[in-house]
Amino acid sequence: MAELTTDTELLALFREPATKEKAFTVIVKKYQERLYWHIRRMLVDHDDSNDVLQNVFIRVWNALGGFREDAQLYTWLYRIATNECLTFIEQQKKKAAVSLNEMESGLSNKIRADKDFNSNKLEWKLQLAIQQLPEKQRVVFMLRYYDEMPYEEMSRVLETSAGALKASYHHAAKKIEDFILNH
Amino acid sequence: MENSNEILTELQEIAPILSMDGVSRIPYTIPSGYFEDFSAILMSRIHLETAGIPDPVIAGMLNRNEPTELSPLEEISGISPLLAGIQKKNPYQVPAGYFEALKTKIPSSAVSSSIDASENIPSKRVALDSRLSASDSIHIQQGSIASQVKPVFFLSRAMKYAVAACLVGLLGITIYNMNNRYVTDPISGLTTVSEQDMANFLDAGDFHWTPVTTSETASVDFSDNDIHALFSNVSDAELEQYHPVLPAEKGSVN
Repeated sequence: MAELTTDTELLALFREPATKEKAFTVIVKKYQERLYWHIRRMLVDHDDSNDVLQNVFIRVWNALGGFREDAQLYTWLYRIATNECLTFIEQQKKKAAVSLNEMESGLSNKIRADKDFNSNKLEWKLQLAIQQLPEKQRVVFMLRYYDEMPYEEMSRVLETSAGALKASYHHAAKKIEDFILNH
Repeated sequence: MENSNEILTELQEIAPILSMDGVSRIPYTIPSGYFEDFSAILMSRIHLETAGIPDPVIAGMLNRNEPTELSPLEEISGISPLLAGIQKKNPYQVPAGYFEALKTKIPSSAVSSSIDASENIPSKRVALDSRLSASDSIHIQQGSIASQVKPVFFLSRAMKYAVAACLVGLLGITIYNMNNRYVTDPISGLTTVSEQDMANFLDAGDFHWTPVTTSETASVDFSDNDIHALFSNVSDAELEQYHPVLPAEKGSVN
């Protein structure tokens, strides 16, 4: 059922009470990894990412019945996941009463605290560099760089014009390159 | 998804370092089996969060419009069929004869010492009105257990505390008095006063005193010449007038 069924078919099965749960499980299995890594790159910590991922799918469970198929399912899922991440970060900031800069340095510290962290490896430097970006740029960079999302799709996820996203990605990539070269 | 080559070309134009091999590898790790178990964990959470909210399908089957309260078994079956299937066997053990001994322990603490053990009192029904129904009421066979009841001496315990408190009080007063006696002794009190404080006190009281700072005892050391010089201007008559009692020692000092 997982790989052979399209999103449209899965949505139809979800609307049938008899197959609702099964269809949902297939949707979860199909998108869980992509969404997890999208969230993990934003939040760094696995436990936080796990919590947010569960919240994302609970939202999906509650709202999928009313999902209009004028957008792709994965775009809609990314949108929910991104919003949940940003909400989570916002809540963390409020809870800890810290500024955005302190929050970013907190995420950098989490990266450095990883048992596999190696400051000489480029992939770790890249993660540190990503955390230096403003939130919106960070999301744009990750959706384009890691998820290879077209700007048109990204504009639906982030409700921003493709041109603005292109510029944002350009700035983000330059900042990251500068960080890697200077650290 | 957009062609990866297009994205790579775009990246090479903006920031070539980011298009290098291995840079895009995500270095984070996840617990093993995380994705295999995720959907099952998620579904159980969804069941949990929707528990108590009647499913429209089930409501239709029951042909009821109003939500009805689920029985504990129905509720747990909806949340976790696994738990519903498990026998409710108590895994805990109690010491041998615990409940038999409990029957005697409860009345012994409830019955007052005023009960006459020899008196043959009929059984008494004690109902815990709001918690237990009449059928759950407890029968206490007082006559049969009275011989096992030990009188509780509440006063003896209180007396122990009272005696202990009195002893502590007496001891405290004795220590206080002993300390107080030494403190009120003026001589011992003066040992703690510095010489400078004494000098200040004497100055304030119009006394003239200079503290000896070089030695503990003051001494007067006059030579014969000093005495001679001191008394050279004093006549013998004046000396005799001052000290007339010592005729044998009369003599001129000049």
